Amino acid sequence: MKILNVYRSVPDETVQQLVKIVNRDRDTDNFDLTVENPDYDSLVDKIFEADQTICWW
Amino acid sequence: MEYKKVCFMYRHEDYAVDGIRSALGLAVENMYAYGVVIGKEIPEFDELTQESIEMLRDMEGDILSTEQANVEKNDFTAISIEELGEKLREMTHIIPYGAK
Amino acid sequence: MAKSLGIFVTTTDSLAHVIGITKAAKAKGSKVKVFFTWKATNLSKDPAFAGLCDMADDVSICVDSYKKQGFNVEDIPEGLTSKKMATQAQHGILIEDFDCYLSL
Repeated sequence: MKILNVYRSVPDETVQQLVKIVNRDRDTDNFDLTVENPDYDSLVDKIFEADQTICWW
Repeated sequence: MEYKKVCFMYRHEDYAVDGIRSALGLAVENMYAYGVVIGKEIPEFDELTQESIEMLRDMEGDILSTEQANVEKNDFTAISIEELGEKLREMTHIIPYGAK
Repeated sequence: MAKSLGIFVTTTDSLAHVIGITKAAKAKGSKVKVFFTWKATNLSKDPAFAGLCDMADDVSICVDSYKKQGFNVEDIPEGLTSKKMATQAQHGILIEDFDCYLSL
């Protein structure tokens, strides 16, 4: 099970807590959408590789 | 057939009612649908929204909250952040809904 | 063959991301379906929305949300047809029928 965590803002404590539990003992990756010019090509590759994508607030 | 399990999470009061409607929309499509209000006290729901929650529960879904005030006011099921994290691990789809 | 991608849009500041991701996915040969709900239906009035409709395989919005956001259901956004003024069942299709799912 590979989880991709995508962040639309800097993760606060609540998000960090949830991500930690969801990621536990799993293969994980992440993507930062807060940067000025996100590499959407790379994001799509990551989405296709993951079993589940979670786009956090 | 494996049924999908979907958890919506709401952190803004302007999005909770419609988010519950979205959860109900998936429950009628034969999915297990849950909604969780996190860290935000929301006003008492109107009768229509209360009915939507009852329908969702009839279809084995639920509306939960980390806030005790919502549990008392709107009869949500109580859940802690740690319990929510564990619940999310069982989901096929996780939806942080709307604005923070 | 590229995987298919369903995008569920619930936020009002995400159109640039939806367009960027759709463009990248289409360039890889992916089938892309997008559904906008609640406040995100306001994005159907963005000048860039029609371009997204041209690019994606399917774009629809929740008509009930659109109405609740103060729009007239007869006022169909550029790029959509009356059939694409739809219900939450579209979200169910994203989940059931697409290989990958993203909420924004």
